[in-house]
Amino acid sequence: MALPLPPGLTPPEIAFLCEMELVTVIPRQRLEGLELLGGPLKPLNPPQRTSVPLWLALLLKRQRRANILPPPWLSPESLTAILDHETEYADAFSPPPRLPPLASNNTLPFSPPFLPSSTADAAPDALPYHWLELGEMLLEAAADDFEDPDNVRKLLRGLREVRMAKLRHGVEVLDAGGGVPMNGVGGMEVGEGRAFVTGVIDGLRKIAASREQQKKDREREERENGYSDYDNDEMDMQ
Amino acid sequence: MDIDDLLAEVAIDSTPRETRDLQELTRCWVAERVAPEILQWPGETMDRVLERVRRQIELVEDQTGNMDPKTNFKLIVIQTELERFKFLVRSFLRARLKKIDTHPLHILNQHNASLASPRPLLSPSEHQYLTSHQALLSSHYSASFLSQFPASLQRLDDTTGGISMVDKPDEDRAVFVRCLRDVGEVWVEGTDRRFEMKRGDVWVVRWSAVRGWVGSGDCELI
Repeated sequence: MALPLPPGLTPPEIAFLCEMELVTVIPRQRLEGLELLGGPLKPLNPPQRTSVPLWLALLLKRQRRANILPPPWLSPESLTAILDHETEYADAFSPPPRLPPLASNNTLPFSPPFLPSSTADAAPDALPYHWLELGEMLLEAAADDFEDPDNVRKLLRGLREVRMAKLRHGVEVLDAGGGVPMNGVGGMEVGEGRAFVTGVIDGLRKIAASREQQKKDREREERENGYSDYDNDEMDMQ
Repeated sequence: MDIDDLLAEVAIDSTPRETRDLQELTRCWVAERVAPEILQWPGETMDRVLERVRRQIELVEDQTGNMDPKTNFKLIVIQTELERFKFLVRSFLRARLKKIDTHPLHILNQHNASLASPRPLLSPSEHQYLTSHQALLSSHYSASFLSQFPASLQRLDDTTGGISMVDKPDEDRAVFVRCLRDVGEVWVEGTDRRFEMKRGDVWVVRWSAVRGWVGSGDCELI
């Protein structure tokens, strides 16, 4: 029964995560409110817009019960602007969407896929965490809800290539200590780059392991009882 | 802070318990799939989720006979979501089982050490699985070959000679983390690497350097 997969999420699992993102739909049929396991679902009253999870939106779309309103960042104008930004700044990804304010301290902070970063009123100028998966899925299931699906598809492809090139280029800064900033990286990009990036860092760490261990021991001893013990150890060895 | 921020804050605080549990379970699942070692059993969340799944299954069983097309579609939605939840729970448990199978003795030690704390490492059924599996395994080993060894070589958890027989996961493995709250300066032990992690940042760091914050919910694994 144990899971036979290696650590790290597989692409279908990332798509599964992405299906929890909220998107805006325009229902064509009424649906009463439902008590779902992930919280109550508001009743669907055409033509009132509602935000529902992507898996439900795709289900409604396939049965022609609703139309999906693509998020504003998935328009040709926004994608062109983001692509320009990506090509201009070669050493970092474009910044992620602005975070909502931090809720009071006792609740857990929200993070993708539970931030409303792909609804109709999301920010138009930033790519959310699940941009690639969401874009692909919407283009596949709801291409007729886009004004210019071919152009969007082309721009997404361009963005993906620019960003993958950055991810590959970033390999040069990897070293044994880790601590590599990856702000703005997307879910599928993490999934694709994980094995390589962590593999390189772990490999370098193992090469430098003995030197690091010495430094670690020395620092611990310095912290605990000054230099005296360290000198004694050396005497013993001689 | 402007009016939008205030409104957003109210919206977050009024999020239903169910939605927060889904988020927590999702986070636990991702973390368990990514982290090199087994993480604390999220007992309360799991109890609530499993109870709701059980009730939802009863509801589906109750209504399956109903052939009214309207109810029928409602049932499809409910069942689709139910299957998604089941996948999440199952994948989470299987990821934990894999870790238990790989490092049984190490995890048993960790679990016994955590018994004093209010939140133990393993769930009761995981603990039962681990102990009975180990009992079967060691009796099989001793019946098939270990009993013919000298008594001093028969132990499976020998630590003499400075080398422990108990396998441990590689706690320094690199992981992708996202900061949920500002955590301040991170220092990777044994290197000169220091950096500041702010809310919303994504970093590739050693698991051992961020483990504490992931446990306290200030960071999440992605």
